[in-house]
Amino acid sequence: MNKGYLCIILHGHLPYVRHPECEEFLEEDWLYEAITETYVPLILVFEKLLQDKVDFRLTMTLSPTLISMLSDELLQNRYLRHIHRLIELAHKEVERTRWELEFQNLAQMYLSRFYAARETFERYNRNLVNAFKALQDAGNIEIITCAATHGYLPLMESTKPSVKAQVKVAVSHYQKVFGRKPQGIWLPECGYNPGDDEILKEAGLRYFFTDAHGVLHATPRPKYGVFAPVYCKSGIACFARDLESSRQVWSSIEGYPGDYYYREFYRDIGFDLDYDYIRPYIHPDGIRINTGIKYYRITGEDDKKPYLPGLAQEKAAEQAGNFMFNRQRQVEFLSDFMQKKPIIVSPYDAELFGHWWYEGPMWLDFLIRKIYFDQDTLQMIHPSEYLLEHPRNQVVTPSMSSWGWKGYSEMWLQGSNDWIYRHLHQASLRMTELVKKFSPHHPDGLLKRALNQALRELMLAQSSDWGFIMGTGTHYNYAVQRTKDHILRFTNLYEQIKSNSIDENFLADIEYKDNIFAEIDYRVHQ
Amino acid sequence: MAVKSGRKVRAKKVKSVSRSKRSVKPKVSPRPISTPGAFGSQEMAVERTKFAATQEMPRVAARVQRELPAEYGSDRIVLATRDPWWIHAYWEVAEAGIDNLKNKLGQEFVDAKMILRVYDVSYLIFNGSNANSFFDIEIEHRIGNWYIQVSPGRSWCVDIGFRLKNGKFIMLCRSNTVLTPLAGPSWITDEEWMIPDDMFARLYGLGFGFGSSPAKGWQERLKKALFSGALSSPGLASPVKLPKEKKFWLVVNTELIVYGATEPGAKVSVQGKAIKLRPDGTFSLRFALPDGKQVIPIEALPSDKSEKKTITPIVIRETK
Repeated sequence: MNKGYLCIILHGHLPYVRHPECEEFLEEDWLYEAITETYVPLILVFEKLLQDKVDFRLTMTLSPTLISMLSDELLQNRYLRHIHRLIELAHKEVERTRWELEFQNLAQMYLSRFYAARETFERYNRNLVNAFKALQDAGNIEIITCAATHGYLPLMESTKPSVKAQVKVAVSHYQKVFGRKPQGIWLPECGYNPGDDEILKEAGLRYFFTDAHGVLHATPRPKYGVFAPVYCKSGIACFARDLESSRQVWSSIEGYPGDYYYREFYRDIGFDLDYDYIRPYIHPDGIRINTGIKYYRITGEDDKKPYLPGLAQEKAAEQAGNFMFNRQRQVEFLSDFMQKKPIIVSPYDAELFGHWWYEGPMWLDFLIRKIYFDQDTLQMIHPSEYLLEHPRNQVVTPSMSSWGWKGYSEMWLQGSNDWIYRHLHQASLRMTELVKKFSPHHPDGLLKRALNQALRELMLAQSSDWGFIMGTGTHYNYAVQRTKDHILRFTNLYEQIKSNSIDENFLADIEYKDNIFAEIDYRVHQ
Repeated sequence: MAVKSGRKVRAKKVKSVSRSKRSVKPKVSPRPISTPGAFGSQEMAVERTKFAATQEMPRVAARVQRELPAEYGSDRIVLATRDPWWIHAYWEVAEAGIDNLKNKLGQEFVDAKMILRVYDVSYLIFNGSNANSFFDIEIEHRIGNWYIQVSPGRSWCVDIGFRLKNGKFIMLCRSNTVLTPLAGPSWITDEEWMIPDDMFARLYGLGFGFGSSPAKGWQERLKKALFSGALSSPGLASPVKLPKEKKFWLVVNTELIVYGATEPGAKVSVQGKAIKLRPDGTFSLRFALPDGKQVIPIEALPSDKSEKKTITPIVIRETK
């Protein structure tokens, strides 16, 4: 008989980056890298677990923007081009490293992984959403949704219709893609603001997550801390992150990914090799970029040593055992005085696994197998299953919180990005104004198209990723440009709609560029 | 913690916009599109992809000359909560409104200060005069933003307006109300249950990953962890996790290019491994060259296998 539960959540999200107007676009690589290094490796791990009849539970967000990109034909074709090139490069590497066996083995490893990525991609008809859907239908993965364009909801406090639109568009998009209603939602950046739960409830969702202090600082005090869900007054359940298990995986210093035997992320042949040789595989403008082929292990401070996959695998197995051991002790301690079984909630960015932490998918594989085969103390669970088993929970009001830098909103509200809210809020107010003015007349044709596109532009501008990137400084210009582009497109539409002078060429052009959420209905923004 | 009325202003100025002289209207400039208007979006999409390869423009050039409006022309002040101790305000007040006020008040307006009046409106329905307390922040520009230091677990509302020399306050615009979160556990416990303080301390510490021993100072440790950024998610999400800056450095590697030509259709092997010739019979290979001696026999057989030719370069690399 188990004493408690482990609930692992992988939050899969990328902002909507799709530039049909450019043949090659640097930022689109975010998606291509994540497909090769994260999504495909995870799918392969899960497929193998099913094949070996290992019954496991994992919760996963696929953000609506990520789903939209994975399902987009242009990006699918571009991914194939990308992986073809990588395969070609890996072939060359196998030849080039003939006199350095330790590198040649690695080149061979990359080559076979790239082939596997392409094969998997083709096997699911170039749409990896099909793979996750099949895993959900098998009962092992519970896919939850996220705000439509990953808007950071606490900073939309003064424009609630936008919060509603973010949630409603996400829920209806999910239903269209998966043929069922989502049970839960991952709030972007884990950003919760009291009152937003009403909107989640109204959209038919049953649970969401906050960071630890969201529940620990709830009013009244949570009886079981973060180890049991609570209900908001609206009746929706809230699960809180356990920080001990989080830190073990997240932290680059005390966490697993920093192990010296693991692959070093920052040494890529895109930067290491001779320019003329690597030129066809980097950005067409000649900017060196990561290719994904990395030959070194973390090693220590200097003098990197070649990566040894066998040793890294042993480490991953050892750390999976360590993680399980710690969770067992945690639930044993907790079950002594809790009147229900404790649940340990461990959410991670999906892209951490494989992309940043190369051995992550392997670690997860070991962990799942160990939990299934080696012990009885701990069991994996989906949040919705836990709620069925333990429907009685304390009612509290969680505290405003996020899992970002410093635990609140500072990451998205600081000197480098605070200027965007003036424009985002104004656009949101204008959107509400348009809905109020035009929806009673049931417009169709051009006007309806313009109203729907206006909402697409507003939502694309609202992605938390832009503010986040401005805050970190990498790709700063791109994030600024995206914010401005969408706000300006919105503003143009707003003025054209109001003056009854919609420019069809302009509208068609931005419909073609910002083609997300084909079935959006502008009326959700109210 | 109660806020004393009229206490000294603690505000951090981060940025303020001073574009008061110009009133910039939002630009309406639909970008010209080469596609004929009669086409629907589908056709245009197809046509655009057809030309995409030749039309590719440098990113920067294609994306200039469009700016967001400096102001939207209506009076507005908006608050957002940053964390338990700070709220953010941005505002915009129309120039005309200020001029009107100036004309109306005449002499009375001399030495008037534009201010933000920050009200603590916790646990009440604010009507403009019943705040628990308030304090003022002088501001310089009619368009700007400010971070305001407040206290946790309270509600806040801000008026923007003028404080006249005689102390009278004239409001131009009122903000939304925001709530700052608690910075620690709630002191309200559910009447349904009792949990001893030390037990809650253990749970609380455990929730934050400090283990289950209620060591002294756990709340301080928590605060340190929470507000230093140590608990934030890394990967993309951490501004702290960037590669370390390198000191002055030098890296040297060597590669060897082996190239040659034979009859098209011949079979060629390098170090015993068959290679593919280009259609014109040439070949070229590139190898990472480590220290030591490389013996590289290259064998060629014509398509009728009538004779065999072998050339064996030997390359030695040494590093001093």
